[in-house]
Amino acid sequence: MSVNEKFSAIRKGLLELLLLQIIAVEKVYVADILKQLSATEFATQEGTLYPLLSKMRREGLLDYEWKESEAGPPRKYYELTAKGREQLQDTLEYWGKINGTIKKLGQK
Amino acid sequence: MNKVITINLDGTAYQLEEGGYDALHAYLESASARLQHNPDRDEILSDIERAIGEKFRALLGSYKTVVVTKEVATVIAEMGPIEADAGGAADPVAGGTEAPGRASAHAPGDESRATGPARTPRRLYRIHEGAMIAGVCNGLAAYANIDPTFVRLAFVLLTVLWGTGVIVYLVMAIVVPEARSPEEKSAASGPPPTAQEFIRRAKEGYYEAMKGFPDRRARREWRRRFKREMRGWRMSFEGEMRANADQCQHNWHSYWAERAPFHPGMGMTLALISVLQGAATVLLICALISLIHTGALFGLALPAKVPVWVAALLLFVAYGILESPLKAARRACYWSFARPGWTWPFVFLLDAVVWLAVIVALLWVCVHFFPELREVIRSLPALVHQAADDIETWWKGKP
Repeated sequence: MSVNEKFSAIRKGLLELLLLQIIAVEKVYVADILKQLSATEFATQEGTLYPLLSKMRREGLLDYEWKESEAGPPRKYYELTAKGREQLQDTLEYWGKINGTIKKLGQK
Repeated sequence: MNKVITINLDGTAYQLEEGGYDALHAYLESASARLQHNPDRDEILSDIERAIGEKFRALLGSYKTVVVTKEVATVIAEMGPIEADAGGAADPVAGGTEAPGRASAHAPGDESRATGPARTPRRLYRIHEGAMIAGVCNGLAAYANIDPTFVRLAFVLLTVLWGTGVIVYLVMAIVVPEARSPEEKSAASGPPPTAQEFIRRAKEGYYEAMKGFPDRRARREWRRRFKREMRGWRMSFEGEMRANADQCQHNWHSYWAERAPFHPGMGMTLALISVLQGAATVLLICALISLIHTGALFGLALPAKVPVWVAALLLFVAYGILESPLKAARRACYWSFARPGWTWPFVFLLDAVVWLAVIVALLWVCVHFFPELREVIRSLPALVHQAADDIETWWKGKP
């Protein structure tokens, strides 16, 4: 089992954090998110993203609004809610703690 | 040479090669099946459809109007499989033959709660595209998801019969905002008619599957199952509607229970209102007759250039205005009766009888004292013809 495969479950779990981070910067639509992720280890597809975004919206972490595009029908632009920002803070803190633990344990 | 199939993805038409259509159809079907227990299923599916449409649009140009099979396959590969368990949202119920029935049995309550705030709420706007006057009827039609012609007809009827249509229209034209931005426009007709889209999709799947069954027994079994599922869906929808109606009625009751405490004089009031209403009706009939017969209103000559039929229309409007407070009072009386334990159906019956009796009595008096009434009734067909001619000449002389 390669490292890549071993981490597939963890990557999947971290995707939500990454979405929160990307959306926190500015209002984005799904193609933007995919483009930003495509160069990283977290490259993903619409088939994964849409269900995840809709789940996060249901949990009140983010919201969307319709915006007109230059060509074609309006697009959904996502943005974070207050709850989403809070969650992003908490998750980043927790993630920092985990990282710290990994480093600390390795030093002994 | 390949056959081309036109499809509708979230409201836009695309042309696909037949092979591509099959592939896309299978993809969307599997997506729909995987999202079966996801409360946002409709929304995710329309998101997916929109994303696919966007990818198709990027492939097409003015000389390339058809998406070929290979391109469809590429787009589907780009989309990737639908992961229903995004963060463990979906419950892992084993999908057996029982699952759809069970889902529709328990769904109405929690599903409406889950999707209620999720969808863009439908809002009432005036819609200018294809409007006749100010877009009120158009907006109402979009709001109720019906043909605008019916709404317009309803308004015309309201105007002619009770005179309220024009007033309601004017008020709405002022009060109801116009849909300008695309968001407002999409809110005016609500979320994409997903239910209809689903019926369409389901039916399509139904006929597709019918073709695939070689023997009659299998076909009949499929048809039975399909019907059961559709019925389940409809039942849940109707149940929701009924719950809404009950709630509405309940609110109305409690409102009037506070407003109009019942007292025994109410029966008398009701009868009195009936008499007044009957009198108003008879007055209207008499006025109409006098108008048609003599061309004047109880001896008052009409202003020049006002055709008789316009005056008649105005009469109806006046009648509507005169009658509306009576009607409101009557309704208030009704609702004060509508409480458990009271024999209000009998009151209604009595009231109806009184109303009818008043009308008949007054009509009899009219016929007795106005001999022209009898002539009018006799010459009614000719009058209708004349009115039609009047309207025609007026219409031709207008531009």
